[in-house]
Amino acid sequence: MAAAANRARPPLWRNVRFLRILGQAIFVLLLVIVAREAVLNLGFGVERQNLDLSFDFLRQRAGFAIKEGIAYSPNESFFRAFLVGVANTIRVALVGIALATVLGLVMGVARLSTNWLVRRIGQVYVEIVRNTPVLVQIIFWYVAVILALPVIEGGLSLWDLAFVSNRGTAVAWFRLEEGAGAWSLFLLAGAAVGALVVRRRTKINERTGRLTPRVAWAAGAFLVVAGVGFLLTGTPVAGDVPEVGRFGYTGGVQVSPEYTALLLGLVIYTGAFIAEIVRGSIQAVPRGQKEAAEALGLTARQQLRLVVLPQALRIAIPPLNSQYLNLTKNSSLALAIGYPEIVSVSNTIINQAARATQMLLLVMATYLLMSLTISAVMNALNRAVTRRGQA
Amino acid sequence: MNGGGALPGDLERGVIAAGEEPVVEVAPRRPPLTPNEWIRRNLFSSWFNGVLTIVSGALVLFIGFRLLRFVFVSADWTVLKANLRVYMVGRFPQEDIWRVWAVAFFLAMLVGVSRGVLLPPSRTRRGAYVRAVVAVVAVGALVYLVESLLVWLLLAIAAALFAGGVAAGRRLGRRLVRPILIAWLLAFPVVVVLLSFGDVGADRWGGMLLNVIVAVAVIALSFPIGILLGLGRRSSLPAVSWFCVGFIELIRGVPLLTLLIFGRFVLILLLPPGLTFAQLVRAILMFTLFSSAYVAEILRGGLQGVPEGQYEAARALGLSTTRTMALVALPQALRSTIPPMIGHFISVFKDTSLLAALSFSDLLFTARRASQSFEFVGHQAEALLPAAFLFWVIAFSISRWSQRVETRLGVGER
Repeated sequence: MAAAANRARPPLWRNVRFLRILGQAIFVLLLVIVAREAVLNLGFGVERQNLDLSFDFLRQRAGFAIKEGIAYSPNESFFRAFLVGVANTIRVALVGIALATVLGLVMGVARLSTNWLVRRIGQVYVEIVRNTPVLVQIIFWYVAVILALPVIEGGLSLWDLAFVSNRGTAVAWFRLEEGAGAWSLFLLAGAAVGALVVRRRTKINERTGRLTPRVAWAAGAFLVVAGVGFLLTGTPVAGDVPEVGRFGYTGGVQVSPEYTALLLGLVIYTGAFIAEIVRGSIQAVPRGQKEAAEALGLTARQQLRLVVLPQALRIAIPPLNSQYLNLTKNSSLALAIGYPEIVSVSNTIINQAARATQMLLLVMATYLLMSLTISAVMNALNRAVTRRGQA
Repeated sequence: MNGGGALPGDLERGVIAAGEEPVVEVAPRRPPLTPNEWIRRNLFSSWFNGVLTIVSGALVLFIGFRLLRFVFVSADWTVLKANLRVYMVGRFPQEDIWRVWAVAFFLAMLVGVSRGVLLPPSRTRRGAYVRAVVAVVAVGALVYLVESLLVWLLLAIAAALFAGGVAAGRRLGRRLVRPILIAWLLAFPVVVVLLSFGDVGADRWGGMLLNVIVAVAVIALSFPIGILLGLGRRSSLPAVSWFCVGFIELIRGVPLLTLLIFGRFVLILLLPPGLTFAQLVRAILMFTLFSSAYVAEILRGGLQGVPEGQYEAARALGLSTTRTMALVALPQALRSTIPPMIGHFISVFKDTSLLAALSFSDLLFTARRASQSFEFVGHQAEALLPAAFLFWVIAFSISRWSQRVETRLGVGER
């Protein structure tokens, strides 16, 4: 700094360092003024309208029922009700992400098919679904399809394993019985054996240069261990087939009409965007890669599995991440059909407890946390995929 | 979404341009396939493809048959016929309906002229087929839906204005670009004034009119704000860039619906006691905040695409940072972001359906209410599908037109 003092210093109003500091100071000052005004107004409201800004109300009795989700009774606290909403959001988001990925994959591949008809079907699906608002679709599924289904006794059934009616959907599932804990140890052991088999097979493949179906070997080993364990622990898992009652289903996995409609809407909508991502990222793999693979004598399937898809996956992950986030955020539209997820439970709480400010802070913080979690998982996946390619 | 898929093609082109041999051998053009060959090649190239064709063909036939039967036989469209007016304009007072028509005429002409200037007449036979089918379907639907002679006349005037606009746009061509831009900039205030001077308050707007107005307002407001945010994010002043990053990420991390609920319940508490906005204005404000965060992100992508050399060249010419940004970087960035920007504006339009979740009487809300009305019980699909179709038609045609305009202007090429 002493050297700088020797030179002729520019006047203050042309000194870049000074101007930068001045600019930021003015900016911060403006922000502070706006924020102060907002806080003062809020404080004014606290005085005048008896607003309460503490989070204490979360411990009060909720007093309203929630139709589905984890165990909860109206006598429990608002916070507990909010947690039910969070669980319900996660329930619909995870299933939705999985199903939308599958649908998007199928449709994206269909759009690249050599079959003209299949290609067109994919195109029509994408163009119709992508250009219609997701809320319109959710409400359509709910009002015009799910609620218009037959009543429970005349409902549709799929080989008596799955039932659909305007009471919701019930699907056969499994029930854990005695010995399930012991069996889970066998499952872990099976997974370990499978991993060992894969490693050993990989070594053999590398030594002999002959390809053997590694995954099939591993799956076989896993099944053997799991099967032996299943018999030893005395059938710890039984099928749980739903039965049609007068007012609802018993047994199996049951979901409400609201959940079904929301899931349908979200999956079909997001699936269209994922289809475009899949198509775009497969097309984005340079054609030379495929030609090189062909020149090396790989079969069409090997070209796809070993050369094209790994590279396409790398291109697809960042946009996929944003679609997963969109799906999770769009699940808030359940407010319109009354599926009790975060926003609709919070809306009820706001109406009952009149603590909109705190509730919205809580809701936004929760969504930010979920967004960060999904992004973190996808970033980890991204790193794993890119690293593998470069090794 | 971020449409960065054009890379490989460009790379290949670069390689060809840098090649040693400029001579390119062009194979003689293939004769067009006979129908038989076409079918064999595109539908039955292998046994797997054959099975696929048969299965999916059966599916398409089944769905198509059910759909046609629904539309023409089993559906009862009286719910749409009875509510058509509400779908379009909500509870807009009957004696003031001429304002809506005036707006419609104005927009029809403006859209017509823009189309005439920006798009060459499509001379392909396929385009003609598509337009003929669309025209027949539209006229057929209108014959069923519209009985009033006056409405027919007004529709004819709108169509004539559109066609006249297209013709005028084609004839005058590029000379009209500047007047059109100015007209579009003026369009929004003109529309709002036309619709609301006198005693028709914003609370009387409804139906698709409301969706369109809110969408246009949000787009017009969020574009400049988004650009400021995007530039702020790139700012070298840490206080500014941190604020912008924080704001953008916060907005993008939460669902739009929570922001709208915030606008409904909390925003009013933060404003000075005397200052209150109508519910609708608050909703538009929150929509705008939401949309501008996305505009900022799109702009950031565009700015990243401006080559470093451009900045260096601007500096070598002695331009200040502000001028470099305003005269060199921003124009290029904006040009390259036209496709994602239009995509975003389409999704803003689609997002206006969230107004229904807040009980504003927009198109979706109106349709849902019609589906719940007692007279039309059992015809929920007929009440909701027209709303879905209207949203779809608008979003789809904008995206198609923008694609054609983009190829015409060569947006993605540079």
